[in-house]
Amino acid sequence: MRLASSVFAVLAVSFAGVAWGQSKNLAPGFTSLPKGANVVIMPTDIELFSISGGGVLEPKADWTEAATQHFKTALRDKKQKLGLRTLELAEKDADELAEVNTLHAAVARAIALHHFGTPLPTKEGKLDWSLGEPVQAIKKVTGADYALFSWVRDSYASAERQAAMVALAFVGIGLGGGMQVGYASLVDLNTGQVLWFNRLLRGRGDLREADKAAETVEALLEQFPVAK
Amino acid sequence: MKRRDFLAGGCAGCASLLPGLAAAQPAWEIPARFARPDAGSDEGGLWSMMDREEVRLRKSPFSLRDPKLQAYVQDIACRLAGEHCPDVRVHLVRTPLFNASMAPNGMMQVWSGLMLRVDNEAQLAAVLGHEIGHYLARHSVERLRDAKSRSAFGMFIGMFGAVGQLGQLGLIAGMFAYSREHETQADSIGVLLMRKAGYDAAEAAKVWENLQLEMKARPDGDASRSPFFATHPPAAERQQALAELARASPGGAANEAQWREGVKPFLRDWLHEEVKRGQHEESLALLGRMIARSPAAADYRWARGEVYRLRARDGDLDSAVADYLAAVADGGEPPDTHRGLGMIYRARRQSPEARTSFQRYLELAPEAPDSALIKSYVEELRT
Amino acid sequence: MRTLPMALLVFLLAGCAGVAKVESGERGLGERMLVSLDGPWNKVSAPDREPAEVWTMEGRPVDELLIYSGIKNEQVIHATAMGANRKNFAFRSGMQPDEIVAMFEGMLTRDGSTFKLVKLAPADFGGAKGFRFEYALTRKVDNVQLSGLGFGTVSGGELFALLYQAPRLAFFPRHQPQVEKMARSARIKT
Repeated sequence: MRLASSVFAVLAVSFAGVAWGQSKNLAPGFTSLPKGANVVIMPTDIELFSISGGGVLEPKADWTEAATQHFKTALRDKKQKLGLRTLELAEKDADELAEVNTLHAAVARAIALHHFGTPLPTKEGKLDWSLGEPVQAIKKVTGADYALFSWVRDSYASAERQAAMVALAFVGIGLGGGMQVGYASLVDLNTGQVLWFNRLLRGRGDLREADKAAETVEALLEQFPVAK
Repeated sequence: MKRRDFLAGGCAGCASLLPGLAAAQPAWEIPARFARPDAGSDEGGLWSMMDREEVRLRKSPFSLRDPKLQAYVQDIACRLAGEHCPDVRVHLVRTPLFNASMAPNGMMQVWSGLMLRVDNEAQLAAVLGHEIGHYLARHSVERLRDAKSRSAFGMFIGMFGAVGQLGQLGLIAGMFAYSREHETQADSIGVLLMRKAGYDAAEAAKVWENLQLEMKARPDGDASRSPFFATHPPAAERQQALAELARASPGGAANEAQWREGVKPFLRDWLHEEVKRGQHEESLALLGRMIARSPAAADYRWARGEVYRLRARDGDLDSAVADYLAAVADGGEPPDTHRGLGMIYRARRQSPEARTSFQRYLELAPEAPDSALIKSYVEELRT
Repeated sequence: MRTLPMALLVFLLAGCAGVAKVESGERGLGERMLVSLDGPWNKVSAPDREPAEVWTMEGRPVDELLIYSGIKNEQVIHATAMGANRKNFAFRSGMQPDEIVAMFEGMLTRDGSTFKLVKLAPADFGGAKGFRFEYALTRKVDNVQLSGLGFGTVSGGELFALLYQAPRLAFFPRHQPQVEKMARSARIKT
C-alpha cells in the first residue's frame, strides 16, 4: 500500500502554519466540565503497524500489546493530574456496550475527516455531532455523566524502510517514516453530544515505550476541558 | 519462572497409540495439557494477543451465538480433545465458506459453511480433530519460532481472529500454510482422536474428497482461494494416506441422524447464504451431491432451484422449475419455493400458474419481507 | 490486514475529498430527475460509489445518500477498480423490483458486509410505478449496524433510485423523515 509518500505530502500540508483556536475542539456552548463531574474512561482502541521497505503496513500484535499497557498507565497518571473523577469500564461491561462503541468510532472518523479536514458546509464550522439517546446505555452501566473515548493508530518504519528513506533522501526524495494518528473525544452521556474532540496527526510519537507513551497521552489530551 | 519445554513434555496417563497406526509414524503421544506461558516470554505475548483476538471475535456481529448449537459442537470438540477439553473454546461464525481453525491458545473457529457441508458428526470430527492435531503437536508455535515468519507475526495472529475475511484471509493464509509434514501429522493425529472418540475414521477422506469436488467445479479451477485450502494445501496423496489410516483402524459411528437433527434449525439460512454467494458452479456441485445423498430433502431441491433461477443460462429455468416442483413433491418445502416458481411463471407469462404459486407463497409466509410486492403481482396477474 | 488501511486513509485523504453544499429548493439530479429539498445537504466526492452521486449529513463514515439517476441498460452500478476477481453487478432494463434489490444487495455486500431485506413493496416514485425497500446492513470494515431505505423505478429503460443508509442507532431515525420527504418530491422527466 503506497501510503507513505501521500502521508508525507498530507503532513506537509497540515502543518502549513494552521493554529486551531481552542473553540475548534469544543461543541458550541460548552467550555468545561463542571467540577466533580463523573467521567468514565472507555477502553482505548490502539493498533500499531510496521511499514515494510515497500511501504506495506503490517499490524504488529506484539507492539500493540505493549502499547496498550503503556497507554493505560499513562492515562491513569494523566487523569490524576487533571483531577478527574473517573471510572474505568470493565471488560464484560464493554461487551454489552459494543454497539454504542462502534457507533462512536464511526462518528469520530467523521469528525476527524470533516471537522478537522474538509468541512461539511451544513455543520457551519461547528463541532456539532451527537450520538443521541443510545449513549444513555453507558450511563446506565457506569453511572457516569461523561465518557472519554480514545483511539490511536501508529506506524513505524522497519529497518528496511529506514534504509530506503536514507538512500532516497540523498536523491532528494522524501519518504514518510511512519506516523501517528489518533483522537480523544468527550461525550455527554445524557444527550449524546460530542463536547470536546482532539485529533492527533503527526509524524512522531512512540507508543512502544512507557515514557514516550506518556507523551502521546499528553498530546491527545492537550487542553482537555477540565473546570479551572 | 523457567519456561518449560512443552514439546518434550512427557505425560502421565496419556493415551497410547492405537494398534495399527504405529506403521509408518514415529511414536507420538498426546501431550499433557499446556500451561499458560509466562507473560514476559514471547509465547506469553502470543497468548495475550490471541486473547485480544478472541474478544474481538466474541463481539463481532458475525459470531453465531446459538447456545444449543454451540454446546453441540463444543461437545464434539471436547470429546476429541480428551484431557485437553477444558482448553478448547469453540466459536461458531456465520460465513458461508468451508473453514475451521485453532489458535495456539485454544480458541477454535468453525464457520457455518463447514457445518453446511459435512454429512455427519464424524466428518465434522475429522476436520476438528485435524485442527486439534495441529494444536497438540504445536505446529503454529513451531512456525512462529521460525525466524522468517517473525516479521509477519502480527498478521499471523490476526488470521486467527479474522472473522469471515475472505479475500484477505486467503492471501495471508497462503503465507502461513502448514507444511506437508505438518499436514500429514495432523491427519494422523486427527484420525487417532476420531477413533478414540468413537467415530468412523473412513469419513475423514470423504470430507476432503467432497471439498475437492466443489473446488474443481470452479470455472477457474483455482482451489487456493478457499481460506481453508490456503492454510491446508490439498494433496492427492493425503487422501490416500487417510484412507489407509482408516482401513487400519475400522469401526466407529458416523452419527448422521444426530447431526441432521442438530443443524436442522439453521439449514435454510445456511443454504440461503450459500446461494447468495453467487458462485453458481460450486453451489451446483455441492447441492448435487447433497441431493444425491438425501433425495427427499426439499430444502436442497429448493436451494438448487434458486441457483438455476439466478444463473438463468440456457435451460436453467427449466431445471429450476423441475427442482422447485420436486421440492413441493417432497413436502415441507420452504415458502420461497413457490415464490421462485411464481417469478419464473410470471416472466414466461403463464399467469394462472404464477398467481397460484404466489398465492401459495403468501399463504405459507404471510410475514415475508416482500409480501406487499408479491400481493401486487397477484393483483396484476388477475387482470 | 484489518481496519487500519481504511481508517488511516480516511485521516489522510481528509485534504483530498471535495465537499460541496447542496442548497434547499429544487435540485436536478442527472438529466431527468428532480427533487425538492427542504434543508441543505453535503455532496461529497466518492469515486468508490460511482456511478452514484453521494450526499451526507454527518459524514460518509456515518451516513450516505446514494443517488442513481438514469442508469442505463448493462451499466455496472459500482466502481470496478476494487477487486477485479469479484462479481460485477449491472443493471438490465428488464429487471423486476426483486432483481434490482438483489443487484443493490450484491453491490453493498462486495466488501463482505451482510445484508438483510426487511421490506419490499410497490410504491410510486418519481411520478411512476416503482418500489420501496428497507434493509439492515452490517458494515464489514467496522461492524456498524446500519438501517437502509431505498426507492426505485425504471423509466424509459433507465434506472432511477435513492438509497439512504445510516447507523440504526440514533442516526437513521434522525434523518429518515427528510429522506422520505425527498423521495416523495422526486419527479422523473419522460
